[in-house]
Amino acid sequence: MLVESPTGLHYPITVVELAKKPEDDIQRGAPLFSYYYETTVTEGDKYGDEKEVKKKFPAGFESSKAGTLTRWFIQNGTVIQRAGVKLVEIDEPCTHETQFAGMCADCGKDMTEEDYMTDGRDVDRATVNMTHDNTSLLVSKKEALLAEEDAKRRLLGVKKLSLIVDLDQTVIHTTCERTIAEWQNDPNNPNYDAVKEVRSFQLADDRLANVAANWYYCKLRPGLKEFLDKVSTMYELHIYTMATRAYAQAIAKIIDPDRVYFGDRILSRDENGTDQVKTLHRLFPVNTDMVLVIDDRGDIWHWSDNLVKVRAYNFFLGAGDINASFLPKQVDLITDTAQTKAAELTKDVEKKSEDSNGEAQVVSIAAKPPESILAPVTNGVLTDLEKQLLTMSGGDNPDLLERQTKEQEKVIISQQTERPLLQKQLALEQAEETAEAEEDVDNADAPAPEQHKHKSLLHDDDDELIYIEACLRRVHRAFFDEYQKKRTAHQGGRIAELRGEKSPKKRAPDDLAVVPDIKTIMPRMKRAVLQGVSIVFSGIVPLGMDVQSSDIALWAKSFGAQVTTDITKQTTHVVANPSRKTTKVKRAANHPQIKIVTTEWLLQCFSKWERADEQPYLIQVDPAEHGAHGGSPEISAFDDLDEGPLLSAEDDGAISGEEDEDELKSPVNVDISEETWQSLGDEFQEFMDESDDDDQGTGSDTDSVNSENSVQTSSTTRSKKKRKRGTGSVDGSEADDSDASVSSSTGSKLQRKKKRVLERVTSLTNVVSADKSSGLPSPETTGPDEGQENGLGGEEDDDDGDAELEAELLAELERDDDE
Amino acid sequence: MFFLYELEKTIQLHPSFFGPLIRSHIHRELLAKEEGSNTGKYTIVCILDSFEVSEGQVVAGTGHAEYTVHYKAVVWRPFRGEIIDGVVSSVIRSGFFVECGSLQAFVGRSMIPSEIKYDANATPPQWTDNAEQIIEKGTQIRIKIKGLRSEVDKMFAIGTMKEDYLGPLMS
Repeated sequence: MLVESPTGLHYPITVVELAKKPEDDIQRGAPLFSYYYETTVTEGDKYGDEKEVKKKFPAGFESSKAGTLTRWFIQNGTVIQRAGVKLVEIDEPCTHETQFAGMCADCGKDMTEEDYMTDGRDVDRATVNMTHDNTSLLVSKKEALLAEEDAKRRLLGVKKLSLIVDLDQTVIHTTCERTIAEWQNDPNNPNYDAVKEVRSFQLADDRLANVAANWYYCKLRPGLKEFLDKVSTMYELHIYTMATRAYAQAIAKIIDPDRVYFGDRILSRDENGTDQVKTLHRLFPVNTDMVLVIDDRGDIWHWSDNLVKVRAYNFFLGAGDINASFLPKQVDLITDTAQTKAAELTKDVEKKSEDSNGEAQVVSIAAKPPESILAPVTNGVLTDLEKQLLTMSGGDNPDLLERQTKEQEKVIISQQTERPLLQKQLALEQAEETAEAEEDVDNADAPAPEQHKHKSLLHDDDDELIYIEACLRRVHRAFFDEYQKKRTAHQGGRIAELRGEKSPKKRAPDDLAVVPDIKTIMPRMKRAVLQGVSIVFSGIVPLGMDVQSSDIALWAKSFGAQVTTDITKQTTHVVANPSRKTTKVKRAANHPQIKIVTTEWLLQCFSKWERADEQPYLIQVDPAEHGAHGGSPEISAFDDLDEGPLLSAEDDGAISGEEDEDELKSPVNVDISEETWQSLGDEFQEFMDESDDDDQGTGSDTDSVNSENSVQTSSTTRSKKKRKRGTGSVDGSEADDSDASVSSSTGSKLQRKKKRVLERVTSLTNVVSADKSSGLPSPETTGPDEGQENGLGGEEDDDDGDAELEAELLAELERDDDE
Repeated sequence: MFFLYELEKTIQLHPSFFGPLIRSHIHRELLAKEEGSNTGKYTIVCILDSFEVSEGQVVAGTGHAEYTVHYKAVVWRPFRGEIIDGVVSSVIRSGFFVECGSLQAFVGRSMIPSEIKYDANATPPQWTDNAEQIIEKGTQIRIKIKGLRSEVDKMFAIGTMKEDYLGPLMS
């Protein structure tokens, strides 16, 4: 240990004599050398005169360390000018690299002792915590590095990587609702098949004292056993969960009864230290080159490059993650189609019954942020400061653990008392009945997957693990291919073949220097997936949320996609909510090269790590709807594009040419037969009533200004017309709409408003064909958000007899005014 | 090491317990609160039956009664240099943890004889000399305490097995 001149001495000091020679044994507190320093003091003599005198004071320097002196950096007469100068090197018998609960694990000394000689606390020598199940054991950086290199060598030897596995909603899903037990005991229940394999357990040391004998119901993600089996041959598995230790161990017992996959590599929130983030450095403090993570949440990993985000496993609808109640609320935008449909069905009933449910309420997110009584809401109470405090506090903080427990208690109690699943099942059945009665259109084309006597709420059809396994296999192969290549070439090899064959050669002792970094390999593979894709989200991210930092956007970006907030020339895909036609969707519909898809497409890409075929996920947008505005939308849309990079004349030509070609292929526009028309008609009617009127007005407005100088206009218009004829859509709309656009361009705002109101009334009172209502001109609203808001308003109108009445009255009034 | 130790404890009793069975209530409370607790220096293993209860005093404002109880208990206090038996609770690369009753001890790599090596590829991981000595989770083991530290209600120890007759116990 190097001893440096400490602070707090009266510098400069001059060394007088060294008291020890190299190889001497030194006790703690033994004098190392003597020195003197000079200072001015005030001296008085017997006459009372005072004067400043410079004086030398001798002093000794004591060793703060014990050990053997190896060498001096100073000699007799050296003047030391400041603190931090090297003095002497002492070889200590124990450097306290590993410390357990404030004691050195190597010599048993208490590290927390301090006295007047202590110049650096011994506890600070070991600060890295890299043990899964213990927070008291700390090691020094050096030790951590050694340990990690050891582990790396071992893993390279057996050709494995490390994989950190999250539990809740990644490989399992747990709820506390005792409804599950009832369903399990009732073979006639529609959910019986789904829940019969749910495992239940109790925690012995459950600290939720108020909750008597709490049962947990744990559903394994389908295919988990095979997944672990296969993956454990390529990866050393660790569990890293935000649940309590007891819970994590109970789960580990279920998914890994023989402890062959995970062993004791389980890290729970009791040991994590913070409850806001998970960090790789907790387990791999120095080097994360060979570590992968699978988790359903990206935010708590800060979207680390090592992360493979998986789709959250949401089996017990509305249960969410019972162990993440203290985490920032995750806005869930997406679920399986089956679930979405279930949620859709229940939606209406829920509204009435004020049912509380959590994240499964997908559809209503766009309409209204779900105000659930469930846990996630309680997070909102935490201020940023508190969060930060929580983050900073250590692992043994009893307050923190207490708080987490309380949060969780709330969730569990609410699940036990409110029983959201039971409510949902009831709601579902109710909805079904009403649907049957009314011949609901939505319900009719929704495929009913499990038709018992009632539809079951729970669906056991998740196949995510298969895809994850495939991805992990690819990464594993890519990593070791690259490693092999680098080792043979021994210089930075080219980009590894992603699908190379495994080398049959036996691995010689490795060289750690050439180990490739998973943080470059995996992102490279991922980015290739959606390379060149530019995505605009519409009706997906809740209002008031920054699109760029939303989970789905970050997720998409990690796959190499570009995310923009508005449709530009580069936009290739619009990811939209199929149940809502927003401004962006309509604008995108005018560009055949832009594919309008559901989030499912994106999720498929994420799952499979390849660009999925868009065809099954396309949202059919009625060409008549966007074509029905008197040729104006095309131009308006191009105006919008012009906001981005300016279009030159050549550009325009090129684009229109492309468009024409695309048109023939593009399914959005071409493949709409009369039958599809009929079946979709009613649906469109609904949407148009909601938001069209507002959205399209923009088009006509801008049109009136720009159409004259736009060379492009005619060609595109022509192409649009051609398309329309091809699809055989309703033509009356055209004349209608051109009228509308003309009038709107010339008329005043007031007139337009009035007209809109009039139109709305008619469209609501007489059930007419789509073209009539689509021709609504609109007020001055612009922008995508506006469209969504208006969509909301429209919905309310539909629901509400009052609003209808109001509109009618208003219309009457204005008519009167006119006359 | 075990000791017979005389202790004192103040117990507060809710008014609903006042009655002929008050002594048994106090006893129950004493056992529940004290037995198995750790003061940081020693663990109270067992409270002996004979105990003295002082006159009760009603606490102003709450209605609770306060009793001072004198009792004798068997306590356990570990000492540096003591040899204790325990059960291995966790095995890691840098050593292993031993539970010795209320005491958690850690035996670091440097405290393990050099012929016993860590084997991470075994499931579960273990320390072994590839002969009869295998240290894995659940192994009974004898260690010597090398260092002791106590916090408010916990005790920690550093153990060693680098001396004769220490190590896994053969059953």
